[in-house]
Amino acid sequence: MPAASAIQTLIVDDQLTMRSLIRASLQQIGVVNLREANDGEEALRAMIAQPAHLVISDFNMPNLDGLGLLRAIRAHPPTSKSAFIMLTGRADKELVQRAVQFGVNNYLVKPFTAGQLKEKIEGVFGPLT
Amino acid sequence: MTEDPFEAIKATFFQECEELLADLEAGLLALENGEGDDETINAVFRAVHSVKGGAGAFGMEALVRFAHVFETLMDELRAGRKPCDDATIKTLLRASDVLNDHVAAARGAGAPVDEARSAGLVAELEALTHGDAAPAASAAAPEADEDEFGFKPVQFDPMDLAPAAAPATSGGGDWRIVFQPNAALYAKANDAGLLLRELSRLGEATVEIDASGVPMLDVLEPEEGCLSWTIRLPGAVDEAAIREVFEFVDGDCDLAILRDEAEAPPVEFVAAPVAAPAPDLDITALLAAAQAQVQAPAEPAAPAPEPAPVIAAPAAEAKAPPAAPETAANAPVAQAPVTIRVDLDRVDRLINLVGELVIQQAVLAQRVSETAMIRATGVGQGLEDLELLTREIQDSVMAIRAQPVKSVFQRMPRLVREVAQMTGKQVRLVTEGEATEVDKTVVERLAEPITHMLRNAIDHGLEKPDKRVAAGKSAEGQVRLAALHRSGRIVIEISDDGAGINRERVLGIAVEKGLVEPDTQLSDEQIDNLIFMPGFSTAETISDVSGRGVGMDVVKRSIQSLGGRISITSKPGEGSTFTMSLPLTLAVLDGMVVSSAEQTLVAPLAAIVESLTPRAEDIHLVGGHTPVIRFRDEFVPLVDVAATLGFGIGPEPASTGVALIVEAEGGAKAALLVDAIQGQRQVVIKSLETNYQAIDGVAAATILGDGRVALILDIDALVSNTRRSVRKPDLKLAS
Repeated sequence: MPAASAIQTLIVDDQLTMRSLIRASLQQIGVVNLREANDGEEALRAMIAQPAHLVISDFNMPNLDGLGLLRAIRAHPPTSKSAFIMLTGRADKELVQRAVQFGVNNYLVKPFTAGQLKEKIEGVFGPLT
Repeated sequence: MTEDPFEAIKATFFQECEELLADLEAGLLALENGEGDDETINAVFRAVHSVKGGAGAFGMEALVRFAHVFETLMDELRAGRKPCDDATIKTLLRASDVLNDHVAAARGAGAPVDEARSAGLVAELEALTHGDAAPAASAAAPEADEDEFGFKPVQFDPMDLAPAAAPATSGGGDWRIVFQPNAALYAKANDAGLLLRELSRLGEATVEIDASGVPMLDVLEPEEGCLSWTIRLPGAVDEAAIREVFEFVDGDCDLAILRDEAEAPPVEFVAAPVAAPAPDLDITALLAAAQAQVQAPAEPAAPAPEPAPVIAAPAAEAKAPPAAPETAANAPVAQAPVTIRVDLDRVDRLINLVGELVIQQAVLAQRVSETAMIRATGVGQGLEDLELLTREIQDSVMAIRAQPVKSVFQRMPRLVREVAQMTGKQVRLVTEGEATEVDKTVVERLAEPITHMLRNAIDHGLEKPDKRVAAGKSAEGQVRLAALHRSGRIVIEISDDGAGINRERVLGIAVEKGLVEPDTQLSDEQIDNLIFMPGFSTAETISDVSGRGVGMDVVKRSIQSLGGRISITSKPGEGSTFTMSLPLTLAVLDGMVVSSAEQTLVAPLAAIVESLTPRAEDIHLVGGHTPVIRFRDEFVPLVDVAATLGFGIGPEPASTGVALIVEAEGGAKAALLVDAIQGQRQVVIKSLETNYQAIDGVAAATILGDGRVALILDIDALVSNTRRSVRKPDLKLAS
C-alpha cells in the first residue's frame, strides 16, 4: 500500500491539454510528485536522468511513440522496472496486445475520469493511501 | 484566471486546437501539393486524434463524433489500406474546414455548425473509409470496452525500485555478454529486447548498444540484424542461467559470454546512468534500438550481413558510433524554443508603461539639460545611459508583441477554396514568408484587406478554366500571397496569373460613374489606380463574391489607417500584383520635430524626402494665388502648415522658413513650410481619435520631452488637399 504522494510519476503526452488533464487528475487523487515530457524521446531522457516509479504515457506521439518509449524503458536496466501505464485514444486490441508483449503494466482509454485513473494505478500498485 | 482548473485547461485546449488545426491544414496542403509523405499523413492523423482526445475529455460530443469519423479515415490512410489520392485529399480539406467549425462552435465563438454540411462530410468520409460497403458501426457507437481484451494489470513491486543490493562478491569478475542477432533470429519472430529483459532479471544488468553497424536510412534493410549489444551482469550470476536465456536463439546470433577480471562498481538505482558515460550517445543508441525493434518484421529476411567483429571491438568504440544512430533513429530534434503563454492585457499594459517611460525619460532629460548640473556632475552620462536602456526596453517589449503573419495567412486557404468553388475556378494558393513578424495589432488588421484582395484576385483576376486553357495557360490559376520585410516595413504582395486589369473596361466604368472626364488622357498606371477611387466598384456588375458591398477604396483606406500604402501593377494576359506596405508597429514613429507659429509638430520621417531653405526665385504663383516651389526639375505645391491647419500664419517663405519636401503615397509631393526644424526623434503615438477626435491633416499626437502635446502631421491628407486645390478637375491618383 504505497502512499500516493510517494509515487514519482512522469506524464508523457505531446498535447499540453492532456498533460494538464492528467496532472489535474493525478493531483486530485493525491499523486503529486509529477514531471512532464512532451514526447517519447524527451521522456526517455527524463527517465535516464532520473527514473520514475510510474510512467503514464500517451501512445500516439511524434519522435518516439508510446510503444517505442515502453520498449526503450524496458531495455534500459535502470528504468526497466518502472511501472508503465499506456493511455490510448481508442481501445485497439492489437495495440494493447503489443503493449502487453512489451511489458506494459496497465492501460487506460481516453477520455477518463480521475476515478478511472486511480483504479488503473491501484491495479498496478495496490490500494493507494 | 478562472478558479476551476478544468476551465483553465479547457482554455488551453482551445489554444492548442488552433495550432493542431493549423498543422492539420498545413499537412493536408502539403499532401495536396505532393510534398507529403507517410509522416505527413501521420501528423495529420495525430492532429485530428489530439483534437478528439481533448474534446472527449470535455464532453464535446458533436466535435468528438465528427473528429472520430475523420480520424478513422486517417487511420486507414496511414495504414495504407486506403489510397491517399487527390479526391480523398480534397474531401479531407473540406472536412478540416468543418472540423474548424465544430471547434469554433464548441468554443462558443463561431456560428453553429452547418449540420447538413457536417452530415454530408461524415457520409463522404465514411464512404471513403469503408469503400462501397455500409459503415460497420456508427460513429457514435461506443468504443470497445477494455475488459473484453481480458487484460490483467501487471502488478508493480515497490521493492523493484529499491536500490539494488550490493553485488555478492564472487570468485570471478563480472560477466560480459556480447550479443548480435542475425536476420534469422528476427525472422523467427524472436525479440532481442525480450532476451535483454530476461537477462536483466538475472541480476543488475547494464546494456550497451552498438549501433555502428546500422547503415544509412536509404540502404537500411530493417529485416537484417544491424545492432549488437554488450550486456554486463554481476559475476555472481550462474553461467548456465545466462546460456539458458539464449537457448532458443542458439545459432541465430553471434554470442560471446566472457568473464571480466576487473570488478564493476556497485550500481545504485537512482544514480546517474551507469552504462552511459556519455548520456547523449547512450540515449541516441537507445532510441535507435527502440525504433529498430519496432521496425523488425516477422517475415523471412535476406541473408544475414557479414557479422561485425564485435567481440574484438573495444567497448569505448561501441559506445561512440559516429553518425549511425542519427540515421537509424529520428535524428534528435532541435530543441524547440521554450515559450510561456501570457494574457495580452498584461503585454499591452507593459507596452503602455514603457511608452510612458520613454516620454518621462525625455521629460527628465530636458529638465536636467535646462539646469546647470549637467556639466558639473555625472548626471549627463547617466541620462544618456538611461536613454539607451529605455530604447532597448522599448524594442524588447515591442518584440513581445511581434507575431508571424502566419496566423493570418493560414486562414486563407479555406477562403480560397470557398471562393474557387463559388466562382467555378481552379485555384492554387501559394504562400511565402509566413514567418515574417509584425506587431500583433497590425497582424490582426491585415486579415480584412488580405481577404478582400484574395477574393478580388480570384474573382476578377483569374479566368475560368476554359478561358485559361484557350489562352494557353494551365486550367488551374495561381494566387500568390507573400510577406517580406523591406526597409523597416512589412510588405504584403498578392499576385495572380490571370488576365490582368481590363483597362478599357475600368476606364469605361470610371467615365460612366463620372469619376473622370470622357476625354481624359491617362497612362496605364493611372487607369489601374482608378480602382482605388471612392465610388468605383465593379463588384455589383461582375459578381457578388469580391464586393460584399466593399470597394477597393475601402481596402485602401483601411490600409492607410494603419499607416500603410497600396499599389498595383498589372500586365495584360499575365496577371496583377497588389503590394501593400505597412509599418511594423503602430506604437512608435520616427519623426522630425518642427515648429510652426509657436506650435510644435511632428512630421513622419519616412515621408520626408529633403528639407531646404526656399529662395525667393524658386517660388512661383500659379493662377496668381497658389504658391509652388521649384524642387529639382518639378514644381511642387508649397503648403503653409500653420495656415492649412488653421492655427496661425507661417513664415514668409523667402526669408526665414524651412520647407520640408514630403512625398505622399503614390509619389505626389508637397513642400511643407514651417518656421524651423528642432530635430529628429522617436515619438510614442497617442491616438487623437481615442483622446479627442479626428482632425483632417493630423494623424495622431505625441507627448514631447517638455511635457507638451505635439500633433503628428498626416502627410497624405495634407498633400492630397493641396493637389485638390491646385488641379481641377481633381483626379486623386494613388500608386
